[in-house]
Order: sequence, then structure tokens, then C-alpha cells
Amino acid sequence: MNIVKNLYKYRELLKTNTKKDVGGKYKNSFLGILWSFINPLLQIAVYALVFQVILKSNIENYAVYLCCALIPWQYFNSIVIRGAGVIIDNGNIIKKVYFPREILPISVVTSEAINFLISTIIIVIFVLVSGLGININWLWYFLIFAIQYIVSIGIALIFSSLTVYFRDLLHLLGVFMQLLFYATPIVYSISDVPASISWLLKLNPMTYLIDGYRSIFYNATMPNFEGLLIVFIMGIVLCVIGYLLFNKLQKRFAEEL
Amino acid sequence: MQEKNVRIEVEHVYKDFNIYFDKANSLKEKILFWNRNKKEKREVLKDINLQIRDGEAVALIGVNGSGKSTLLKLMTKIIYPDKGKIETYGKLTSLLELGAGFHPDFSGRENIYFNASIFGLTKKQIDERLQDIIDFSELGSYIDNPVRTYSSGMYMRLAFAVAINVDADILLVDEILAVGDQHFQDKCINKMKELKKEGKTMVFVTHSMNTVKEFCTRAVWLDKGIVRMDGEPNEVIEEYLKETL
Repeated sequence: MNIVKNLYKYRELLKTNTKKDVGGKYKNSFLGILWSFINPLLQIAVYALVFQVILKSNIENYAVYLCCALIPWQYFNSIVIRGAGVIIDNGNIIKKVYFPREILPISVVTSEAINFLISTIIIVIFVLVSGLGININWLWYFLIFAIQYIVSIGIALIFSSLTVYFRDLLHLLGVFMQLLFYATPIVYSISDVPASISWLLKLNPMTYLIDGYRSIFYNATMPNFEGLLIVFIMGIVLCVIGYLLFNKLQKRFAEEL
Repeated sequence: MQEKNVRIEVEHVYKDFNIYFDKANSLKEKILFWNRNKKEKREVLKDINLQIRDGEAVALIGVNGSGKSTLLKLMTKIIYPDKGKIETYGKLTSLLELGAGFHPDFSGRENIYFNASIFGLTKKQIDERLQDIIDFSELGSYIDNPVRTYSSGMYMRLAFAVAINVDADILLVDEILAVGDQHFQDKCINKMKELKKEGKTMVFVTHSMNTVKEFCTRAVWLDKGIVRMDGEPNEVIEEYLKETL
């Protein structure tokens, strides 16, 4: 419970750090915060072109279908990539002054969560433009969002501390995330996957989360609660492992950096 | 358990550093050059015992490489001992190197918030102290310029102004007064004398024997990782100078 006490005590640091991340990301770029929208829109355009026009996917409203999955995926992707680098990037401060180190990965997750909240507007626009309309199940968004946040904290704690000792992880993760993109039902549906390998997809927490977002936005139904429970448990396990690992590894951060 | 008045408790602390001659950082290097990873253990601190109480101003002296800065870093919890235990009681601030915890693109004012929050202050507490900090730093209108445009003296003024105004019980300072003009040095010494009167605990690493004599109540001489002498500043300095000169 030490971590909760620490986080409360250093809440101001968490806040300034998160704000720095959210605002600072596009600070020197001409289009500023607009990139938060342009980026996913261009990606959706590319994937829609490839999978709908060229590969002739038979999924209806493919752009919306894609959008519901791609935006949460981008959130997940930045957690892994940015989380892995956060301790190394802040080596300067870590070597000079004490503060609870877990603030760094947690503020990455929090600032990316805020970016994700903003980007969710894109999903809403896509859904409305395609004529699917608003429905009450959208309220489940906040539950799925909260579960994804928990999963993200665990993952960020694990990778941020491991990369300090194994710098290769940074490069490995770049390739791994590209593979994982196709091993997650984003451009296709899990029902199209042969049963012989679908168990593999079920080990991936993003499978359940994306299924949840898709249910509420694309199918306008309630999410699959069994799936959400599974991913919630995965999240708790990741957080516990992450916390123990981080706590052990952080003692030598200043010496290894 | 905290004994009465004790602020810093150092018990049987050992610290080794691994000195890599040619460190294999990546996996490829680790596999290809596995034999390259020669390292040598260097004992930096050996069985250090110290108790520092309320209102004490302690100077750590010794030649370069005697472990002074390492001991100070252990007290701040930036690094951890291999054996033994270090406890600090109360709020602690440290000034280890110049500009600790500054973000170069932020203005001086934003960095005050950032730096003070690293020391655990809330927004409201920082608001209350903001004017004092700016006044103390004497940065005037520069306070709204990005910190990367500061000179090293200005950097140091800001860092010191923040550290001294966060109402800490313990202040740890590593060789920082070497920078800054005479006027600002005097001002810092005066401010620290005030803090000493208020009963705050201070630990310095310094090579300026005059500062030690003028200001400190106790001197600890570290030599090759052990406490060689601990006591009244004038006596310790006399012995220390006799040996090193």
C-alpha cells in the first residue's frame, strides 16, 4: 500500500508530468494537437484502402469497424513503446533527485489515456456519419476504458524497468508490436480465425478490449462481460507482477543509467 | 524506530560499485563478447555508521573518490546500500548537481512548479512560496525565459532558491556553492545560518575548509570509504590538512 500513499503524496508531480506529456507532445509542430486526429485518420484510410478496396473484405461499414479497434490499439501501442523508454529518457532527473520512480510510467499511461479520450471523438464521428446513431451501450465505454488503464499500468511498469537492464528490448518491442498488430483482431474479426489458433489470440488482452469497444460502438450491443472479466484479471496480475518487478529493479536505476 | 532528535541514521552501510571496463550493453554484444564483460568490484563505502541529529550542520570532507558524494546519494535514496540500513526522518531536499530536475524547455517559473513538486509539494503550497523563491533567486524578468537560455550561475540560483524554500527538515548539498558570485554565496550562507537556527539538519560535501569552519557544527572525514575522523570541525580539519598537504 506504500505505492498508493506515495502517489497521493506526490500527486502534484504526477499532474505536472502528465500535463507536460499531453501538451508537450506536439509543442513545436505546426498543426499541434490536430495531429492527434490526423494520424489515426490517415491510418484508417490506408488500412481501409488495403483491406476493403484491394482485399475486398466483406465486413459492412469497414471504416467504422476498423476505427473502433485502431484507436484503442494506438493507445496500447504508445503505452508499450513510450513506457519502455520512459526511465531511460528521464535518466538525468533520476540520477539527481529522489522521487517515487513509478510516477514516470504512470504519468505516461495517464497522458496517453487522456490522448485516447480525445481520439475517441473520432470513433464517435465515424459512427454518427455512417448512420449507426447513438445508443445507451456507449456508457460501457468507461468500464472498458478503466480496465484498459489497469492493463496499461501493469505493462508500463514491466517494460519501463526491464529496458533499463536490457536495452535491446526497445528495438525488439518495435518489431514485436508490428507482429502483435496482426495477431490482434483489428483488421479482421476473431470469428474468421480458425479454432486451431484462436486460443493464441485469447492470450492477448487487447483481443477482449477491442471486442468490447466494437460491441458497444459498432454492434450497438452490450460488451461480452465474461471477456471483460478475463482481461480485468489479466490486468490485476500484470499490475502485481509489474509492481514487484519495478520495485526490485528500481533500486539500481541510478547506477545503470 | 526513530530515536529522539535523530534525523539521519546510517547503520553499517556498505556500498560497492561495479566498474565495467568495456560494458556490453546490448544482447548482441552480450552474446558475441561475453568475455568482454570484465568487471571489477570497487568498495566505495565500508561499514559506515553515523547518527545526525536535529540542528546539526555536518560537513563531509575528504579527497576525491573517498565516497563523500556516494554517501550523500545514499541518504537521498537515489541509490541503495548493498548492506546495512539508512533511514531519514522528515522531509528531505537535495541539491546534488546543478539544475537537478529542470526541464530545459520550460520557463524558470514552470520549472519551479516542476522542481518543487518533485520534492513533494502540492500546487497550493508552491503558490504560497512562489514569490519568495523568485525573490531569492534574483532572476527578475528572466524567470519567464526558458531555462536552457540561463547561464550556469542563474541555473544554480534557481535550483538553490527552490531547495531552500520548500521547508524541508533535512537539506543535503553537494559542492554547489562553488558556483555563483560572492554576493549570492554570502546570501546562501546567511539563509543556511537561519535554517540552522530554526533547527534544520544539513549535510554538505565540500572542499572549502573556510565554509566548514565558519558554518558547520561537525565534520566527518571520509578516507577510502571509511570514517577516519568525526568531530569538532577545527580539529578534524587540522588533522585532515596535516595528512593531505
